[in-house]
Amino acid sequence: MLDREYRRVAYFLILPALTGLVLFRLYPIIASFFISFTDWNVFGGGDWIGLENYVEIFSSKEGRLVLMNTALFTVIYVPGIFIIGLALALALNSGFRWSAGMRALYFLPYITSTVAVTLTWRWIFSTRFGLLNNLLLDLGVSDPPAWLGDPTWSLFTVVFVAVWRDSGFFMILFLAGLQTVDQQLVESARVDGANRWQVFRHVTLPLLAPTSFFVLLIAMVRSTQTFEITYALTGGGPNQSSTTLAFYIYQNAFVHFDMGYAAALAYILCIVIGGLTLVHHRLRRKWAYV
Amino acid sequence: MFNRHFKLLMISGLLLYGIITIFPFLWMIITSFKPVGDTFKLPPTLIPSLLLTDQPFLNYELVFQERNFLRYFINSCIVATLAALGQLFTCSLAGFAFARIKFPGKNLIYGVLIATMFVPTEVTIIPEFFMMRYFGWLDTLLPLIVPSMLVGAFGTLMMTEYFKSVPRELEEAAFIDGARTVHIIFHIFLPAARPALASLFVVAFIHNWDELLRPVLYITNDDWKTLPQALMNFVSQYEAEWTLLLTGSFISTLPLLLVYLAAQKHVVQGFVHSGIKG
Repeated sequence: MLDREYRRVAYFLILPALTGLVLFRLYPIIASFFISFTDWNVFGGGDWIGLENYVEIFSSKEGRLVLMNTALFTVIYVPGIFIIGLALALALNSGFRWSAGMRALYFLPYITSTVAVTLTWRWIFSTRFGLLNNLLLDLGVSDPPAWLGDPTWSLFTVVFVAVWRDSGFFMILFLAGLQTVDQQLVESARVDGANRWQVFRHVTLPLLAPTSFFVLLIAMVRSTQTFEITYALTGGGPNQSSTTLAFYIYQNAFVHFDMGYAAALAYILCIVIGGLTLVHHRLRRKWAYV
Repeated sequence: MFNRHFKLLMISGLLLYGIITIFPFLWMIITSFKPVGDTFKLPPTLIPSLLLTDQPFLNYELVFQERNFLRYFINSCIVATLAALGQLFTCSLAGFAFARIKFPGKNLIYGVLIATMFVPTEVTIIPEFFMMRYFGWLDTLLPLIVPSMLVGAFGTLMMTEYFKSVPRELEEAAFIDGARTVHIIFHIFLPAARPALASLFVVAFIHNWDELLRPVLYITNDDWKTLPQALMNFVSQYEAEWTLLLTGSFISTLPLLLVYLAAQKHVVQGFVHSGIKG
């Protein structure tokens, strides 16, 4: 009886979610796919040009630079938040007196306004009046770099702010994972004479594998999607040196109004994320047995 | 011996990272109490010297009154609150259906919802932009509210899991007493899911407060701008006015700080469950 009553209203209940799914997810995903094969831009166009946008991305100097930047971003960001997040979690988990307060503090950057804190960093990094360079001058560095204005450093400062913002979040994920590690196993390994490093390497780390793999996936996906920090810190410059894929999509679509090209970039991002998810899935089955 | 050194090293590491974590926030607050010229003093000072004058909140007055920040603040509050409430509505109804009802197409819809979860906004934003233009919603708050209100894969997932754990006897009894589905949802399921709803609300609120891409695309009229977007405009118009800019930054951080302090447990749990922001 109850089931029949429920079935009568089931579609009404999912109607809002279904509308959102079709209108703001499925339709745009499909439409972007078709747009990516056209030359639709600010002058009109919209003719079918096959794979030309995709070829252009991989053959143009700028396109290759942005793809390289995105890869570099991921390669620094993922180990960065992994190591910092895990280290903070392990330290706080060891029964440290103020750990609750410290945990709240480390998580703070993740939940505050990204644009606001990024702008604060922008000033800290600014060349002449910035705090960092004045500190470096005091320490005797005679010619500190223009962090945001120098192509060598701009991408690194963007990654730095991203790691600074997100490490607390990954710490929380690791802390949740550490709750599942059986303390008795740790204790008995200690009794058997294992030192701190051996316990970590042979007990804690293997038991933490499911969490670690989850963190890896989330971190890799996030690393391809940086937008706010790039926008507020460097605007992708100088000379696109700090532009990564997500920001490049925005630039092409809504600064140059090159919709076809931007849609192709968006699909490359989609494929990258899909690929990462797939690789992650494979690796997890092979190594973590979960 | 080894243990004591290790502990010392660990605590120093934690404190050092703690300082790096909190410093930008402190700097924001200190700068918001500095007179304009102070930001170009070399070397930079750490003294909030306005606090020693008779106009300690001068920068706040200027930002709110002359730079239109009161308006932006209200806009951000409207957007974040409505989007978050809407998401609660969408996700809890859908979550209930997915958790408790067998209906044709359920697995397909649920599967598509999960499959599109990781597709970033950048992929969907181009068609969405033209859709919003077609609806005539440019320069209104609607495009900032409606899409995020109706799209909530993580929220739906979370509510589905939560509702699955509610025992069946409760609703059977209510049904025999004459209660209908809406009544069952609002009087049995939603009260039971209060912690999950609180987590979902704060996560959605924070996420929508922080949104930058959509406001940048959809809003050009100054009266409808939100705080993050207004801060960015501020940078390009008055690059040198760092005192006011960081005052504005602190104003846009404060509500999130308060939400976090008031509901820390829900915020942390919400983000752990949602996995990623959004």
